[in-house]
Amino acid sequence: MTADPGARARPARPPRASGAARRSAWGRALRPWLLLAPALLVLAVLLFWPLVRVLLVSFQDYGLRQINTGENNWTGLDNYRDLLGDSFLWTRVLPNTVLFAFACVALTLVLGTLVALLLTRLGRTWRVICSTAIMSAWAMPAVTGTYVWIWIFDPLDGVVSGGLDGLGLIEPRETNWFTERWSFYAIATLNVVHHGFPFVAVTLYAALLTIPRELPEAALCDGAGPWQRFRLITVPAIRPAFTVVTLLSIIWDVKVFAQIYLMPGGAGANEDVLNLGVWSYIQSFSRNEYGTGSAIAVLLTLLLLAVTVVYVRTLAREGDEP
Amino acid sequence: MTRRTSRAGRLGLGAAVAALLAFTLFPVYWMVSSAFDPAAGRRGSDVLPSGITFDHFGHVLDEGDFSRYLANSALVGLGTVLLSGALALFAAVAVARFRFRLRTKVLVMILMVQMVPLEALVIPLFLQMRDLRLLNSLIGLTVVYLAFSLPFAVWTLRGFVAAVPQEVEEAAYLDGCGWWRMFRSVLLPLVAPGLVATSIFAFITAWNEFVFAFVFMQDDARYTAAVGLHRFFGQYGTDWGAVMAGSTLITLPVLVFFVLVQRRLAGGLAAGAIR
Repeated sequence: MTADPGARARPARPPRASGAARRSAWGRALRPWLLLAPALLVLAVLLFWPLVRVLLVSFQDYGLRQINTGENNWTGLDNYRDLLGDSFLWTRVLPNTVLFAFACVALTLVLGTLVALLLTRLGRTWRVICSTAIMSAWAMPAVTGTYVWIWIFDPLDGVVSGGLDGLGLIEPRETNWFTERWSFYAIATLNVVHHGFPFVAVTLYAALLTIPRELPEAALCDGAGPWQRFRLITVPAIRPAFTVVTLLSIIWDVKVFAQIYLMPGGAGANEDVLNLGVWSYIQSFSRNEYGTGSAIAVLLTLLLLAVTVVYVRTLAREGDEP
Repeated sequence: MTRRTSRAGRLGLGAAVAALLAFTLFPVYWMVSSAFDPAAGRRGSDVLPSGITFDHFGHVLDEGDFSRYLANSALVGLGTVLLSGALALFAAVAVARFRFRLRTKVLVMILMVQMVPLEALVIPLFLQMRDLRLLNSLIGLTVVYLAFSLPFAVWTLRGFVAAVPQEVEEAAYLDGCGWWRMFRSVLLPLVAPGLVATSIFAFITAWNEFVFAFVFMQDDARYTAAVGLHRFFGQYGTDWGAVMAGSTLITLPVLVFFVLVQRRLAGGLAAGAIR
């Protein structure tokens, strides 16, 4: 908008009002679209069209034959009728997905907030040590992190069963935490929280740093107790960031895939531990029922769409553009 | 704050720090020490490895073909970083510096797109890549990762571009720069920290991604490291020393990256998340 010669010649006037700017209006109107075009094209081809296509496939009985010939095989809402009428969805997959996400989000947020507060109370050296340790937890990729946790909880030679065996608490060869639904998800939760809390801690710590130094001191002079100072100074300072990390955590934890799929029995062998993402994958790529798999994927998307609406609304309310 | 902390408070802080360090570092320690342990599979709960050996690393790199997988991952990651950095910066300048019709709609759309569960797009993207004959190609995977990292990169960089004062740009115009020259010598250096943050994010997205690489890459010469590790896991049963050596090789570059740039990363992500 300031790129036209008119604006350059008369810098004192607001550039948008200058006559030359109006003359080159076409160039100006085109420039943002030229800059946006590559990004929008990529998003359209690789996110929008697939999103439409998963919906189209979910209304079909789409198997190997359709994969190979590319022809359509419309069955209307049959896939959804089968899915929603199946008690497996309501008693297994949905509880697995939602409860697991809830536990992960709650623990991630509590731990992340506590660690952020802890960082503000440390001296420089210990803060660097702690934040480096946090970074190491964050840096471990989901895939390798999952393998490490499986190894730690390995029923035969893992450190936990070895340690508990040494204390005489368990019979190592008779305890397998991966076969039972609750212990399976407890380990998955530990894995996801370990990987997820650093983002929350680092973001909230950055938000805490925006509090001017004088503010808590002034509050202290006015006789505010620690709880009052926390409620009146700390909470408002981190609230916008907290909203964002909460919603991002929900979104990430609802659609967890690798951390479940890679666990023993998680790839379909143990139906008790399926969540929406893994179920969709197995229906499609192991059983070649791409229609059903797509319908499950659409359900997952709808679940997250609800969260997204809240996310956008909250951002808008925080006074941010748009 | 520390100066007024009481004795009990100091003790509490110490305990909290110890717990934090144990929780964050234990998995990393266990992974690395098992990778060097000659008898990793029979380790049990021994805190120290029974010895130091590089055999597991040699094994995964030679017989496990891991060097090829790591190279594939690095190529895909690098391609993703370069493409997403360029496309995102252009788009960010467009939405942060120009007022045009539909601008708000484009912004909302980019935000919404960021929330699409990528796991739900495995099936259609598989079909699409199959139609385009890009299934076993590193380029196909790079393009898909580009789409994944783009919305976040645009959204983050937009904050950085908006933070550059308009006056700085106008000064450049007064000095006789054209728009492109201004972009190159004024805007680009000033948003460099944002580019660093989004590049790291893009690289790590690509380096860590599992499910798409798992579905797309059927020829094992094209496996990325994350997928190669999975095959390795199945093929050799529970050779934990080897699996941990592979895990260490995958984790190490990311770990070094994170620790080196941690201050900038925190600032960049926070700027993106808060703005």
